[in-house]
Amino acid sequence: MKTEKIYSAGIDIGTSTTKMVVSSFLLKNVAGVTHVPRIEIIEKTVLHQSPIIKTPFINKEIIDMEKIEQFIFQQYQLAQISPADISTGAIIITGESATKENASEVVHAISDSAGHFLVATAGPDLEGIIAAKGAGTLQQSKNTAKIIANIDIGGGTANIAVMQFGEVIGTCTLHVGGRLIEFNNGIIQSISPPIMKLMEKWSNPLNVGDSAEDIRVTQIIQELVEIVAKMLSGQLTDEQHPLLLGHLPTWDKPVEAIVFSGGVAACIYEDECTNRQYDDIGEKLAKSLLQHEQLKSFLWLKPEETARATVTGAGTQTTEISGATIQVDAEALPLKNVPVFNCHIDTHSKEFDYAVKTAVAQADALFSIQENRSPFALYFSQLPYLSFRDVHTLCEAILKHLATRSSKEIPIIIVIQSDYAKVIGQTIQAINQTVPIICIDQIKVETGDYIDVGEVLPSGVVPVVVKTLAFHSK
Amino acid sequence: MNEQLVSMITQLVMEQIGNKGSDKSSHEPTVPIEDKKETLIKFHDTVVNANYAAEEVASSSTTEQSNEPLIKLYNTESSNHEQSYYSASNDESTYTSVPITEFKFEEDEVSESVQAAKKHTPARIGVGRAGTRPKTKTWLKFRLDHAAAVDAVYGEVTEGLLQKLDVFQVTTKVTDKEEYITRPDLGRRLSDEAKTLIQSECKKNPKVQIIISNGLSASAIEENVQDVYLALQQSLGNLNIEIGTTFYIDKGRVALMDEIGELLQAEVIVYLIGERPGLVSAESMSAYICYQPRIGTVEADRMVVSNIHKGGIPPLEAGAYLGTVVQKILHYKASGVGLVAKEG
Repeated sequence: MKTEKIYSAGIDIGTSTTKMVVSSFLLKNVAGVTHVPRIEIIEKTVLHQSPIIKTPFINKEIIDMEKIEQFIFQQYQLAQISPADISTGAIIITGESATKENASEVVHAISDSAGHFLVATAGPDLEGIIAAKGAGTLQQSKNTAKIIANIDIGGGTANIAVMQFGEVIGTCTLHVGGRLIEFNNGIIQSISPPIMKLMEKWSNPLNVGDSAEDIRVTQIIQELVEIVAKMLSGQLTDEQHPLLLGHLPTWDKPVEAIVFSGGVAACIYEDECTNRQYDDIGEKLAKSLLQHEQLKSFLWLKPEETARATVTGAGTQTTEISGATIQVDAEALPLKNVPVFNCHIDTHSKEFDYAVKTAVAQADALFSIQENRSPFALYFSQLPYLSFRDVHTLCEAILKHLATRSSKEIPIIIVIQSDYAKVIGQTIQAINQTVPIICIDQIKVETGDYIDVGEVLPSGVVPVVVKTLAFHSK
Repeated sequence: MNEQLVSMITQLVMEQIGNKGSDKSSHEPTVPIEDKKETLIKFHDTVVNANYAAEEVASSSTTEQSNEPLIKLYNTESSNHEQSYYSASNDESTYTSVPITEFKFEEDEVSESVQAAKKHTPARIGVGRAGTRPKTKTWLKFRLDHAAAVDAVYGEVTEGLLQKLDVFQVTTKVTDKEEYITRPDLGRRLSDEAKTLIQSECKKNPKVQIIISNGLSASAIEENVQDVYLALQQSLGNLNIEIGTTFYIDKGRVALMDEIGELLQAEVIVYLIGERPGLVSAESMSAYICYQPRIGTVEADRMVVSNIHKGGIPPLEAGAYLGTVVQKILHYKASGVGLVAKEG
C-alpha cells in the first residue's frame, strides 16, 4: 500500500547547548481495506544529528539569534534538505534560555524562517514531556506497565515527567542543572540566582571567586540531589522551595522506575563526561545522583538518548496526525499558535447553544487583547453520542456565535477528540457555504494548550503539533 | 443496562436455587434463607423493579402449587418478618437503617494493566474464571450477547423507521427467514412485483442510487441507518451529486445491487445493509459501494465500509465519509480493485 514521506526538524535551544535533528516520517493508512482510513506515522528515521554547540549569547540576557540561524542553515546543508521541505517539527527553547529577554522572539522568528512548517514551543512542562518522549521513556512506560519518571537534567533545569501506560500523569520542574555553578581555572565564576536564593539562609554562603573545591559546593550538590529524591518520592510539598520552578509535582501515584536524560545524564550512563567541555558542577552532580541512597531504591532504566533527548523529542515526537475524515479549508492553512478552549457539553441536557455561547465568551475574555479578537480553537473533548439532529443544532450554535467574526485569515477552528470532524464540518458547510472552516478530530488537547495545524498532506490528513507556549518566569 | 439486566437475572436464579435448596434440607438452614427472603421483600417494595417483582411473585406461586413446604417457608418467612418488624419498632434507628440490598456481583478486581488493556478492545479479556469455567456474570453476558445476535437476524425493521426515511419497500424472491438463510441466491434476485414497483417509482439513470436492506441484522438498520443516510445525503448535497429514489429491500443480499443497477442504470450504488451480527455488536452495518453494478459484476469491483455502529465507526462520520468515496468513484469511474489501480 502507498506510503508518504515527510520531513521533520527539531531544534533545542537550551541553557548551555543548542542542537538539531532532521528526520523523515513515513505515513501510511493502517486501517483495513473495509474501514474508514486511519493514517499513522509508521516509521521515523533520523537523517541528520547536528553536533552539540554552545548556545550563543550576545550578553547575559540576550540570545544571539543570528548565530543560531547560521547554525541551523548550515545543518540543513549538511543534511541536504531545504528548509522548504520541512513540513513539520518543533523548535523548543528550554531551561534558562527560556528566561532570556528575547526568548519568545527567537523561537517565533526561527520557526518562521527555518522551515515550511516549524512550530515554536516553550514551557517547562512541555520540556519534560518532550524529553521523556525523546528519551524513549514514554514508550518504556507503555511496554512495562511501570510508573516511570523521566528526569531530564540540562544546564539550568531538571524537567520531570511521570508516565504510566504511555500517558503522562504528571510533571514538575526544578532548578537543578549542571551549569548552576560555573568554574574557571578552579575558581567559581558564576552562581545562578536560584542557588543564591537557596543559600540565603546559610550563615556563610558561597561567593564568586571561591575555590571550586570548596566543601560548600559539595553541600549545594547534595541539596540539589536531595530535592530530586524528595520530589520523586512524593515528599516535596513546600511550594516556596527556592529550587522549585512553577508548580509542585502533579502526579498522584508512587514512582517505580527512573530514567535520566539531558546533558548531565550523559555522565550517569556513559563515561562521556570528558567530552563535556564545560567547567561546572555537572559531572559532580551526576556522580552524586548515582550514589544517593534513596534514589538507589528506584528501578533504574536506561534512556535511548541522553543529551539529545529533548531535541530528538522535538524533532520526532511532537507531530501528531489528525483523523483521516476531517473537513479543512486548505487555503486557511497552515495555522500557527492557536490557543485552545475546551467547550464542555453536558451529556444529558445537550444544551449546545448555551455551551458554545459560554465557551466563546470565556475564550474571548481569556485570549483577546482589548477589542482585538484573536482566533482560538474550540475543543470538544467529551461529545456524547450525537444524532444527525444534534449535529445540526450544534453546528447552528457554532455558526451563530462564530460565523460573523470569521474571515479567510481567521477561520472557524474546531478540534474534536472523538471521530466527528467530517460530519460537523460538512454540516457547517451545508448551512453556510462561505464560512472558512478547519474541523479536525482525534487530537487530544486541553485548555491552555496551543496547536499548530500544518498543510493538508496528499492523504488528506493534517499534521498537528500540540504544545504550550509558556516562557519560564524568572 | 446489560449489566443491570444480568444482575437481575442472576438474582432470580440465585433465589430459585435458594428455594430449591431449602426444599431439600430440614429446618435448620432456614435461618440464612430468612436473610435472603428479607431482601426479597424489600425488593418487592421498590418501584423500579415493579415489573420484575410481578414475575417473581408469579414464579413463586407456580412453585407454591407443586411444592408444599415452600409455601410454608414463604409464609413463615413473612410472619417472621412481621415479628422482626415489631421488635425492631422498639428501636427506630435500627429499623430505618435496614439497607435495601440489591444483588450485586462482586467487584472486578483486575490490575491496572488489565484495565488499561481493556480500554483498547471490546473483547472479553480479564474476566477471570471459576475453576475451569467462566464466571456467572461472564456467562450470562455471553448468553445475552448471543441472544441479541439471534434477535438481530430474526428481527424486522419497523414500519415507523421506513416512514421516517420516506422509502418504499420491496421484496426479493425469498419468502421467509429460513429460506433467506439457506438460499443466498434467492436473496440476490428481486421479486417480480418488486421489479415493477421499482421501475414505476424510481428515477432512471441516477448518479447515485441508495438502497437499504435489513440483511442479516435488522437492529443494525434500526440503530444506524437514519444517521448514516442523512449524513450521506447532506454530504452528496454539498458535493452537488444527484441522488436517485431510495428504497428499502426486505431480506436482500449484497449482490442484489447488480440487478438493481441493471434495472435503473445507476452510475454508483450505495447499499446500506445489516452485517452478520457478532458477539461484540449485533448492530453493525456495512455500506457496499460499486461503480456501475450490473448482472455479472465481480466482487473485486465492490467496496465496503464496514463496522458502522456506535462502538465502531460513528454512523454520522461514516455517512460523511461515504460522500467523498462516492465523489472519488465518480471521478475515476471505477470502484474496488479498479479504483486502486486507477488511483495509482
